[in-house]
Amino acid sequence: MSARYGFVIDLDRCTGCGACMVACAAENNVPPAPARATPRTGLTPMLVHKVSNGMEGAARREAFIPIACMHCGNETPCVAVCPQQAVEVDKATGIVVQMPQRCLGCRYCMAACAYHARYFNWWDPAWPVGMEKSLNPGVAVRMRGVVEKCNLCPARLHSAQEKAAAAGRKEIDPADYIPACAEACPTGAILFGNLADKNDPVFSAAHSADAFRLLARLGTEPKVYYKSQEAWVKALAERDSVRPTEAQHG
Amino acid sequence: MKFSRRDLLIGGAGALAGLALTPVPWKLLSDVSIWTQNFPWIPQPAHGPVETKYSVCTLCEGGCGIRVRMATKYPVGVAGVRDHPVSKGALCPLAFAAHQLNWHPRRLREVRHAGRTASWAEAQTAFVKACGEGPTAIVDARPGRAVSSVFEAFTRKHRGSYQVVLSAESQALTPYAGWSGVPVTSLGYDLENARTIVSFGVPVLDGWGTPGRFTRLWSERAAGAADPQLRLIQIEPSLSRTAARAWRWVPLREGSEAALAAGVARTLLEEHLVGAPGPMPRSTLAEAAAQTGLATEAIRDLAQRMVENRPVVVIAPDGNPAIAALNVLLGAVGAPGGIVRKRGDVPSHVSADPLPGSFRAVLVDSTVPWEFAAQNDAEVFRFAAWDGGGDSAGWLLPAPGFLEELTDVPTPPTSALETYAVAQNLVAPPTEIRSAAQFLLQIDPTLPAVEKVIHARCDEIFRTRQGTVYGEHPLAVTKIYSAKHLEEQLRKGAVWMGDPPSPGKFRCELKEWPADNRAANATCWAASWAPPVFPPLATKLYQESNLREPPAGRQA
Repeated sequence: MSARYGFVIDLDRCTGCGACMVACAAENNVPPAPARATPRTGLTPMLVHKVSNGMEGAARREAFIPIACMHCGNETPCVAVCPQQAVEVDKATGIVVQMPQRCLGCRYCMAACAYHARYFNWWDPAWPVGMEKSLNPGVAVRMRGVVEKCNLCPARLHSAQEKAAAAGRKEIDPADYIPACAEACPTGAILFGNLADKNDPVFSAAHSADAFRLLARLGTEPKVYYKSQEAWVKALAERDSVRPTEAQHG
Repeated sequence: MKFSRRDLLIGGAGALAGLALTPVPWKLLSDVSIWTQNFPWIPQPAHGPVETKYSVCTLCEGGCGIRVRMATKYPVGVAGVRDHPVSKGALCPLAFAAHQLNWHPRRLREVRHAGRTASWAEAQTAFVKACGEGPTAIVDARPGRAVSSVFEAFTRKHRGSYQVVLSAESQALTPYAGWSGVPVTSLGYDLENARTIVSFGVPVLDGWGTPGRFTRLWSERAAGAADPQLRLIQIEPSLSRTAARAWRWVPLREGSEAALAAGVARTLLEEHLVGAPGPMPRSTLAEAAAQTGLATEAIRDLAQRMVENRPVVVIAPDGNPAIAALNVLLGAVGAPGGIVRKRGDVPSHVSADPLPGSFRAVLVDSTVPWEFAAQNDAEVFRFAAWDGGGDSAGWLLPAPGFLEELTDVPTPPTSALETYAVAQNLVAPPTEIRSAAQFLLQIDPTLPAVEKVIHARCDEIFRTRQGTVYGEHPLAVTKIYSAKHLEEQLRKGAVWMGDPPSPGKFRCELKEWPADNRAANATCWAASWAPPVFPPLATKLYQESNLREPPAGRQA
C-alpha cells in the first residue's frame, strides 16, 4: 500500500524557537549563510514565520507558522512547470522529490510554488575549514545554481527502508522514519506520519475539527496540515503567503 | 544538383529538430548537470560507519541529554534523547548544530599572550611566577563539577581563592538563600507540581533553565487550552515568545516589576488572599498602578489569578528581592510546587561578591561568560575554546571544545531534584588544546585528577543507595552491583537522579517588604548559551529569516 507522508503542525504549541530550522539544516547539509545572504536569498527548507493579529498593545497576539514544502498531492505546481523533470511525486510515499542533479536552475518552480517553500542556491556551498567533517554522510551537498526544498529527510527514509529490508520487512517501522524537524520540536508541535494510515496519530489529527490547510482553495491537496483553536490564526490560512521583508524583524 | 544556402539552413534545422527527438541532448544535459555538481571544490561528506553515542550537552548548565551520530570519528549530528529525565528529549535550537562548533573560525588553537602567539611552557612559567608573587584566584561558572574540586584543591594548597560567577538562574534563587541560610545550589523550582506559574519576564518557554523541562511540561498541560491544567502568567513589557504562548500576558511599563510585586502583595494581604500575614509594602495600590501603567483592577485581578489555582510559584529573572518576596507571601517556599530544597546537601562554593580583594593572578575557566572582567591589575589567564573578541585577557589559553573533554554535569540550577551525569570525551581534541585541570595538574601533580574525582563521586552515589539511574532502562541504584558499574552507565550517557525532596524542609522569614525597587534584568534568548560564538547554522534564525533578533556580541 502506498503511503502519504505529511505533517500536522499544532500552531498553539509552536513557540517559534527555531529548533526545526537548525535541525533541518544540519541534517540536510545546508551550508551556513554567506555574510551577504538575506531572508530572500538564504536557504531555509523549513522556515518559521512570525505572524500577528495586527493589533497593538495588550490586544496584540502572535503566533508562529513553520512552513516547509507542502508536498502537494494534486496538480503539483512545481512538477507541472519543471522543464527538466527535476521534480517528481514519489507514488510510493507521496513525497514531492526535488532532484538537484537534474535541476537547471530556471526557477520556474519557485515562481509556481504558492507557499514560497523553494530556495535557490545563490552561492557555492562552503563551510569553514575542517567543518566538512561534520557533514551528514547520508546527504549529498547541492551545487550553486540549483533549487532545493524540503524532501522530508530522504536519508532517514532510506535508512528506515534499509533497516526494514535487512529485517525482511516490506514496510518500514514508523518509529524509524521521523524527519529532523519533527524530531527536534521541543513542544511536540510537529507531528509526522502517514496520512493514508487510519491508525497513524497523524491521520486523526489531520481530520480533527481544528485542522486546516494553507491556501486549500487552490486545490493542490497539500500534505501539511495545521491546527489552531485561535480564530485569527485560522483566518490566515487563505491569505496569500508572502516572504517577510528584511525590515520585519521578529 | 545545386546545394543552396537555403538547403543548408533547412538541413541544419531538420538535423537539430531530429536531434531533439533523440535522447542525446537530454542525456548530455543530465550529465552536465551531474558533472557540474561534482566540482572538486564542493565539499563531500566523509563516508564510513555511522554509530550513535549518548552523552550530555555541556554548553550550558542545563544538562540536556544528547544523542550524537558519529561518522569517521567525528560527530555529524546532534539530537535530543526522548526519555531523558532532565531534558525530556528537547534541546535548544543551537544544540542541533553544536557539533560544528569545533571548526568555528574563532576556535582557539594556540596560546596567545597580549595578542601574539605564545607557548604552554611560557604560560605555565608566567602563572607559577604570578602565584609566587601574590594571591591567586580561580573563577568558575559551574560549581560542583569534578574540575571545580581541582580548582578548590589548588586554591587551598596555594593560599588562593576559589570564586564562582553565578548564572542568572542561580542569582534568582539568592534571596531565598539569604533569608533561609540554605545554600543557593541546594534550591530549585518544583515546576512539575505547580499549577500556576507567574513569570516576571523570564523566558521560561525560550531557553530558561533546562530548555526541555518546562517546554515539555507546558506542551503537555497547557498548550492551546482555554482553561489549562497549568497556568502560565507572563508579566513582561513586550510580547515575547513566552508571552505570546502564555495563558495570560500582563504588559507593564518597563522597569516597574518590583512596583507590581508590591502592588500584588498589598492586594494579597488587604484582601486576605494568603493564609499567613506578611509585611505590608509601603507603596499603595494606586502608586503601583501609576508606576506600572496597569489599572488597579488589573493588579487586583492578577493577585486573584495567582491564588485561585494553587500551588503557585513566582519566577524572577534575577535576584530581585521584591519579586522573590511574593513567593514567601504566597507560601510557595519549602512547599510542593514552589521553591524547594533538594534532598541531599550539595556543597556550596558560592562567593557573595565576585573577586573581592586584590589578586596577582586570576585563572578564568572556560565556562565563565566572555563578558566577565577581572580586576585591572591582575594577570589574567583565561581558558576558552572560542575567541569572543576584544582584548579581555592577558593570556588566552585554548581549552577543549564540544565533546572534547571528560567532564561531569551536576544538578542544573533550576532543578528540584539532584542529578549527576558524565559527558564522555567523544572526540579527540587537537594536540595543542589543554583544559584548566590539565594545566594545574602539570604545575602541581599532587592535585586530584578529574577522572579520579568522577570515580569518587560515583562511589559516593553508589554508597547512598538512593535514586535511579536513567539509561536504556531506568535502574534503581539499589539494583546496581558496583560503583564501577554505575560509572560505566553514566559514561554511556545515563543520568543519575536523586529521590524527590521532602516538603517543608526550610522556611524563609520576611520581616519587612524589600525596599529594593530596581528593574528586573531583561534576558536575551541567547543568554544561557555560554560559548561566545554561535554555530554557523544559527544564521538560519536571524539572518536568513526574520524569526529572531540577531544576538548582540556573538558571531555565528
